[in-house]
Amino acid sequence: MKIAVCVKQVPDSETRINLPGPVPDLDRSAFTLVINPYDQFAVEEAVRIKEKRGAGEITAVTVGPQAKVREMLKKDCLAVGCDKAVIVDDAALAGADPYAVAQVLASVLKRDRFDLVLFGIKAIDDDASQVGVMVAELLGFPHVSYVGNLVIDGDRLTARREIEGGVEVVESGTPCVLTCGKGLNEPRLPSLPNIMKAGMKPVEVLDCAGLGLTPPASLTRVKQYSPPPPRGGCTLIPADDPAAAARELARRLHEEAKLI
Amino acid sequence: MKPYQGVDFFRVSRLLDAEERAVQAMARQFVERSFLPVLRAHHAAGTFPTEIVPELGALGLLGPSVRGPGCSGLSYTVYGLICEELERGDSGLRSFASVQGSLVMWPISVYGTDEQRAKYLPELARGKLVGCFGLTEAAHGSDPAGMETRCRRDGDGWVLSGNKMWITNATLADLAVVWARDEADGKVRGFLLEKGDSGFAAQAIHGKYSLRASDTGELILDEVRVRDSRRLPGVEGLKGPLSCLNEARYGIAWGVVGAAADCYHTALAYALEREQFSTPIAGFQLTQAKLVDMLTDVTQGQLVAIQLGRLKDSGVNEFPLVSLAKRRNVAMALDVARSARSILGAAGITDEYSPGRHLTNLESVYTYEGTHEIHTLIVGQAITGLAAYR
Repeated sequence: MKIAVCVKQVPDSETRINLPGPVPDLDRSAFTLVINPYDQFAVEEAVRIKEKRGAGEITAVTVGPQAKVREMLKKDCLAVGCDKAVIVDDAALAGADPYAVAQVLASVLKRDRFDLVLFGIKAIDDDASQVGVMVAELLGFPHVSYVGNLVIDGDRLTARREIEGGVEVVESGTPCVLTCGKGLNEPRLPSLPNIMKAGMKPVEVLDCAGLGLTPPASLTRVKQYSPPPPRGGCTLIPADDPAAAARELARRLHEEAKLI
Repeated sequence: MKPYQGVDFFRVSRLLDAEERAVQAMARQFVERSFLPVLRAHHAAGTFPTEIVPELGALGLLGPSVRGPGCSGLSYTVYGLICEELERGDSGLRSFASVQGSLVMWPISVYGTDEQRAKYLPELARGKLVGCFGLTEAAHGSDPAGMETRCRRDGDGWVLSGNKMWITNATLADLAVVWARDEADGKVRGFLLEKGDSGFAAQAIHGKYSLRASDTGELILDEVRVRDSRRLPGVEGLKGPLSCLNEARYGIAWGVVGAAADCYHTALAYALEREQFSTPIAGFQLTQAKLVDMLTDVTQGQLVAIQLGRLKDSGVNEFPLVSLAKRRNVAMALDVARSARSILGAAGITDEYSPGRHLTNLESVYTYEGTHEIHTLIVGQAITGLAAYR
């Protein structure tokens, strides 16, 4: 089974973004960049599928400047079991929106033909949850999003989706696109020998021209980043007499906040 | 509290290559994910968490720089980085790895026979076997030349008798590298004793204030008879055990930087949250002075460690360099741990925070693998040409 895992580099979740007021773009110079944590579930699932079947090939695919993403691919993909990696590095893709990125990824995935394409459910930076399902549409593949459990039997797969208040069980054939959520697995740590071997695995670097693709235009553009509005002051109602305090709270919610 | 992501104010990680950074990240995650969640209970109980040993082995964290069957044979810098992350967790964890890698796997690799290497190294690297190292005796610490443990030739084998004290992994060990003086020629020889050898026993030392999450004990050798194939033939004399200690001290010079970094990280986070006089104590000048001194100390320790690693990887492996680094970095880490404890105030004396634990651990590290004082004299001799302890 040929499996592709599409990964994205994102700012570490501990990143402090200093936003004094509305700005057209963020200062990303001090960001610590890491693999999107949801993508690690996708990588781990791919490796487990390959281990279980005893054969297969896993390709990690990402879009971004190779100087920044190469170390991530080695450490978080190749060192834990992916066999090779593809980087699409094209200056024209700086600031690309989910649709443009999906077009680029679809072009790589069409070229190499995969049975299974795995994504994280979303990237923790823009929380868009769009790229995986857009890629499925562009490829004409079925997709299952928010997968929390996966069983593959031959070329049929059964995925459990975590939905509001319950679980949905979806069956599909291959090829198929899946977006992987927390709980699907626990990503392994790379072993020392595998970290060292990762450097010897092939990494292909392409630009859009190399894919025979005109850099796709974004459909959307981020106009502005602004800090959340300051929170209003808090009014404390003295509760020496609980019944009186409740009456006062109800009065304020009704007359001032007009919520009840 | 913000998760630990290393302390790297001075961008020291830029002195590392991509693989080295990946190893650092992996060891850090191992400590975070597998070790710290079980540490507190083991520390309270005074036991080493043996449940993590298989994973230590599977990830390649045991004896990574050792060469031989089943071993990775990677750089000393990689080994050092691992020690730093393990000791960020606890000195007991780093001690376990130091003993296994530097004091058991290393001498087998360098002084052992091909048969010994093939028999023991793969299992030790995978954590299927645990090793310990018997040199120190109750009456002979800094001056191991006085050792009373004896070996004597007996037919096609040897008979060993004596007691070894303050032995890390003593009761856990399946295999012990034990040093004994030959009654015939007075030379110190190394032997590999296995758990279950007749006359060979281990006993735990209880009531420790320090290194509580580590197994410390005594080895008892009562006329232990072994074949000559259990002798390490590649070395005789005190340089055998002393060369092993030089390997382990190297790891300590790195390891304690991790303990210090954890203390700094914990103290900084606490100082930013703890309010007195209606303001975070991190805003007070005295607290800032402590934090800046701690950060400076950690940074210097990191630079000493990495330079030591690069030197060792380039073949420079002089005892006094390792002594200088071990001596300086352990003293540094103790100072940092004390400052961290003081910033934490009363909270610093409970096991809810790491600095008190690091502080008591580091009192052992200050003394073992060559005391602070002995390392002073080793460097003193190196720069003056005069030995103060002979």
